[in-house]
Amino acid sequence: MLGVQGIMATKKLRRAKLSQELCERLSRYQITTCQDFLCLSLLELMKVTGESYRNVQKLLRKVSLACAPKMQTAYEMKVRRSINPSAAFLPTSLHSLDKVLHGGIPCGSLTELTSPPGCGKTQFCITMSVLATLPVSMGGLDGAVIYIDTESAFSAERLIEIAGNRFPTYFDSDEKLFCMTRSIHLYRELTCDSVLKRIKSLEEEIISKKIKLIIIDSVASVVRKEFDTKLQGNLAERSNFLARGASLLKYVAEEFSIPVILTNQITTSLSNGLAIPADLVSPAHDLSLSEVTGASGSGKKESACVTAALGNTWSHSVNTRLILQYHDLLTRQIVIAKSPVAPFSTFFYTVEKSGLVLQDGKNLSNLPWEGTNPALQTIQVRNTALGNALLKTTDETPGDTPSP
Amino acid sequence: MQRDVGSLPLSPALRARLLAAGFQTAQELLETGPCGLSKEIGISREEALEALQVVRQECAGDAAKTAGGSGSTRKCTALELLEEEQTQGFIITFCSALDNILGGGVQLTKITEICGAPGVGKTQLCMQLAVDVQIPECFGGVAGEAVFIDTEGSFMVDRAADIATACVRHCQLIAEAHQEEDHLQALETFSLESILSHIYYFRCRDYIELLAQVYLLPDFLSEHSKVRLVVIDGIAFPFRHDFEDLSLRTRLLNGLAQQLIIIANDHKSAVVLTNQMTTRFGQNQSMLVPALGESWGHAATVRLIFHWDNTQRLATLYKSPSQKESTIPYNITPQGFRDVQPPPVTQNAEGTEMNPRKRPRREEEK
Repeated sequence: MLGVQGIMATKKLRRAKLSQELCERLSRYQITTCQDFLCLSLLELMKVTGESYRNVQKLLRKVSLACAPKMQTAYEMKVRRSINPSAAFLPTSLHSLDKVLHGGIPCGSLTELTSPPGCGKTQFCITMSVLATLPVSMGGLDGAVIYIDTESAFSAERLIEIAGNRFPTYFDSDEKLFCMTRSIHLYRELTCDSVLKRIKSLEEEIISKKIKLIIIDSVASVVRKEFDTKLQGNLAERSNFLARGASLLKYVAEEFSIPVILTNQITTSLSNGLAIPADLVSPAHDLSLSEVTGASGSGKKESACVTAALGNTWSHSVNTRLILQYHDLLTRQIVIAKSPVAPFSTFFYTVEKSGLVLQDGKNLSNLPWEGTNPALQTIQVRNTALGNALLKTTDETPGDTPSP
Repeated sequence: MQRDVGSLPLSPALRARLLAAGFQTAQELLETGPCGLSKEIGISREEALEALQVVRQECAGDAAKTAGGSGSTRKCTALELLEEEQTQGFIITFCSALDNILGGGVQLTKITEICGAPGVGKTQLCMQLAVDVQIPECFGGVAGEAVFIDTEGSFMVDRAADIATACVRHCQLIAEAHQEEDHLQALETFSLESILSHIYYFRCRDYIELLAQVYLLPDFLSEHSKVRLVVIDGIAFPFRHDFEDLSLRTRLLNGLAQQLIIIANDHKSAVVLTNQMTTRFGQNQSMLVPALGESWGHAATVRLIFHWDNTQRLATLYKSPSQKESTIPYNITPQGFRDVQPPPVTQNAEGTEMNPRKRPRREEEK
């Protein structure tokens, strides 16, 4: 099987308006889909169709017409968006964050949330689930949610706690709370295979259940369980799985214009002590923190930094990347590390009963677009934050942002 | 005329029949005529006529070649080429440092490839170019339209609108400073709506849709003859998922490259491709290199690599037939792709060339 196939690739040639006899003739050579046809060279096509060079060009054009996407001008796209502006984003209810993101989590693309354990990823996801079920007048999407949970971290009690504390006036009755919980469809998937199967089934579920938000918490845990990248060949297989998943999710996100939130874990990326500039370090190395010092046996202290896991290709696949990291014992930070509409920005927050709460006083807004490679954006982990608190130094730790 | 029958672009079955009947040269076919041909090898008269027309055209083409005529062959002297190159248009990027190392901007009729890590600004530059290609000639632009083929879904209309608005404002400021008739006239049709209406967007979800779209592109460009820029944002993405047959991938990519070269030349357009970076494992270290392999490196004429140095974005000219390799810093601002700091304002009384250095200080940054 070749690659990730869209719908067009598997389209049968008879639906490309080729003549019946031509289709029969081609099927004798095992050429039945548009993909089979377009992958052949011109000479091969002349041989299997028995047509002249000129006619083969015409046939190619016919088959291409059956597969090619429809053209739209950028203006038509803009007009379509402006008809329904609220449908372009799902606000996170963290106002400063929403402002910088031009509205919130974008619909129609993949948003990734990365952080070390215990920083608030799942809290954020639970909050977004509640928000998606709210009516449009309150900034929600008035729809249902599919929550794919691979770590069994979803807690229904916490869901109710966040909902009740964040929107006390709206969730003033048990009825309203239960209505909201009925709209959140939870799937526990524990292997890569089952996650992929679930993703494939999304198209039908979205239509039948009126889904407006998809959350996968987390992609990294199933992938890292099954693919040990130290073994040869596993890296390629892992990239394949991620690429297929990303492709399917993008299709669903764009087709239905809904947001898709994926969570990721952290990894350590090394520079082997050689003078290699940061952008040439491979984030595909997936070593645990305990192997950092002296791993190459050189005796030299290697500089290592903690970054988002799953490698370089995955970083290309997601359109928006938000990082949650530790700042000190109580406060954490949200960093917008990659976004097509927002500059690099950071916000402080704490985790309360009502979920994430921004600490607005310490915001750094209107930064110039100054982040670094989103695949290598350094992330501060709890030990580092603890270390900071104990040593009371703020100079040399990675991920520190300059104070205003 | 002495062309061998076996080399004519007829269908294999027909060729076989002709050879079996004893025909050897194109001359013989033309002498026999359609009726005779149909009787001798047992095909219909219409088929025979069609075959003869093909043969005749082939021979006409041959004759033109041997006589040294231009026809469909692309042949000229170096002097003619020099004249062509000097009048060749460039699409500016609004980052004067980048334009400088490119020799003026992104060149028409050439394929430019932009490689870079995720988030470094490749799509931003593509959107900037899709707007800049439309700048009217009196402001130093090529007054063209743009085709945007998106494989990753990273094109954001709102962002393109912001970039377009900033570009229009820039032109307005220049028009105000110069007060020339043709500037003001051009501005009447150079607006946000017109810019967005002339960006033709195609979303290709897999490599088959991409292949199909590129096959259809010449027809589209003939119908929309003002297109001067074709962007394929994410040439790597569709080809990177488990292509088990790497030789097929190489063949398809080569075919794509060929078609794009022809499109760039025939339609006097710039072709801009963006590529991802991939990890290559060396002996004790790994490095990031452009994706799609070594042979793909030959496809583009000009290659730019965008990368980071801590928090500064850098662009390196990696491959160019006429400019030397160099690295410059650039920024992404709310207005789009720009230089690192506003270049000093100089009193430049020279004509109407669009020069970002002329941007007056009073323009407020959004």
